[in-house]
Amino acid sequence: AAPGSVPGRSNRSAVPGPSPVGGTGARLAAGPEMHFGFQTVTEEERREKIYQVFENVAKKYDVMNDSMTLGIHRVWKDILVHKMNPCPGTLLLDVAGGTGDIAFRFINYVRSVRQRQLQRKLKHHQNLSWQEIFESYQKDEFNSLGDSQVVVCDINREMLKVGKQKAEHLGYSEGLSWVLGNAEELPFDDDKFDVYTIAFGIRNVTRIDLALQEAYRVLKPGGRFLCLEFSHVSNPLLSRLYDLYSFQVIPVLGEVIAGDWRSYQYLVESIRQFPPQEELKVMIEDAGFFKVDYENLNFGIVAIHSGFKL
Amino acid sequence: MWCLSGLFGSRVGPALYPLLRVVSKGNQQYPPLRALQASAVLRRASDEHKKEPLASSSQQHFDSPPAGHQPEQKPQGPHPSYTGQGGQESEDYESEEQLQHRILTAALEFVPEHGWTAEAIAEGAKTLGLSVAAAGMFRSDGSELILHFVSECNSKLSELLQKEQKLVQLGEAEKKPIDEFLRDAVEARLRMLIPYIEKWPQALSILLLPRNIPSSLNLLTSMIDDIWHYAGDQSTDFNWYTRRAVLTGIYNTTELVMMQDSSPGFEDTWRFLGNRVADAMAMSSTASQVQSTGEAVVQGLMGAAVTIKNLAGLNQRR
Repeated sequence: AAPGSVPGRSNRSAVPGPSPVGGTGARLAAGPEMHFGFQTVTEEERREKIYQVFENVAKKYDVMNDSMTLGIHRVWKDILVHKMNPCPGTLLLDVAGGTGDIAFRFINYVRSVRQRQLQRKLKHHQNLSWQEIFESYQKDEFNSLGDSQVVVCDINREMLKVGKQKAEHLGYSEGLSWVLGNAEELPFDDDKFDVYTIAFGIRNVTRIDLALQEAYRVLKPGGRFLCLEFSHVSNPLLSRLYDLYSFQVIPVLGEVIAGDWRSYQYLVESIRQFPPQEELKVMIEDAGFFKVDYENLNFGIVAIHSGFKL
Repeated sequence: MWCLSGLFGSRVGPALYPLLRVVSKGNQQYPPLRALQASAVLRRASDEHKKEPLASSSQQHFDSPPAGHQPEQKPQGPHPSYTGQGGQESEDYESEEQLQHRILTAALEFVPEHGWTAEAIAEGAKTLGLSVAAAGMFRSDGSELILHFVSECNSKLSELLQKEQKLVQLGEAEKKPIDEFLRDAVEARLRMLIPYIEKWPQALSILLLPRNIPSSLNLLTSMIDDIWHYAGDQSTDFNWYTRRAVLTGIYNTTELVMMQDSSPGFEDTWRFLGNRVADAMAMSSTASQVQSTGEAVVQGLMGAAVTIKNLAGLNQRR
């Protein structure tokens, strides 16, 4: 089911070929034309180019995010985790989560929810002696994360490396796992995760429909799919300002800060090529999700799509 | 309201609905691929209930009367039913809603422990075999759980009143006088709160949030309406409003008294209720007395005015 009418995409015929990422399927074809920013390339070329883009930007990824979005990306990611509202015991899969932003926020959130839970429990147990309370700590009943875990999966080794270093630096140790994997073919078993998030990553996936199908597969029944991504601004005035900012300012920032304007040109172009909110919603529903909805942040500059595997 | 429609959807009983999924908000054309993709949870629900197998192979059927409900023969009554034959959209709408309905019902047993929160809903989802993330389908303040509970209680009350009415019609029971009827109905309804009484003040405060007021008010008025209907009220004048306002007042005040009542078996609350109902009855007779007195006084004044005019010679007729 090839999604519809985005400029630059052509109808695909099934061309079986060796998969570039070592997968089993004839699904990941080398074949026909796709867009890479405003250029037209084959699927395989697109994957390679995107891999190189992120390899180049990995070290300066966070700095660039802050300067391009003027720090607002932190708020967007916070809103995503608040919308998720995870309770302790949740198993999260963060795909294309390279530098770990969502993972760290998830851990913080779950930790504070767990704190409150434990405080409430202790209030009920105020008749316990201090000895008994101490013993319950030994039993590890009061573990600080409540068995929540996050698996950060990314296709790019460099991004994962940066993420791991950040985790060490910020002191996140428990509940985190780092896995190398392709969103179009996840190395996980079916029905495993409570929540699947992909923040600013689905734009770079070459076959979005495959990624959505994989998301559906690895989620438990009742599990939630959340996607945070740049989207289309409908307000015409804002759209013009946004275009101006994107095409004039961002590549320049890229050259000045990261020494690589091409990657940021790609980034800005890929945002324009990405399907708008409604189209993405239809694609998510096609993959089998129910109750699919989206929330625009900042008038559509960014949108959070949510769906449930029911 | 979605909760009412889900409720009545569950009452229609086990029927086989083709699961052709439709866009939740619009009426878009669906490519055949979607029809083949089975819903993970809803199919399992049909397995659990061991319903008859499905007819066509190209369509996915499901039927899932919620686990906690028996299919009821009760007629739909005045409420709109969303289970009509027309439109795949209404049928699909129902399936998600039925699932939500089931999750909320399952969540009710965790309310005494967790309160009316998303945590209780998450625990409820877990008992149904779903991931805890399914609680994300509902608003995070737990208001949907409370509204669900209230509407469940209201329908239980309706059933109760209807059963009693049937007994009276069959002649097996005496028709109760109005004040006793009202008192029993309100007491029965308030007794349904007893298992959740500790967390009920939290629920009341959430129901009073501006966002929830339309729905909670709707549920309240339809319940009061129901009670008066079964009490035999057929007024078509301003009395209709007065009666409902009075009963709403009685119900709300009794509920508040119940919140802080610590007497055994809530006797204080029932006594308070009895007094209020008696007051209301007395008030209505007082009102008519006042009216007739008022009329009499006015008549007297008119008579006095005519007499004075006569005496002053202003009423001359030649």
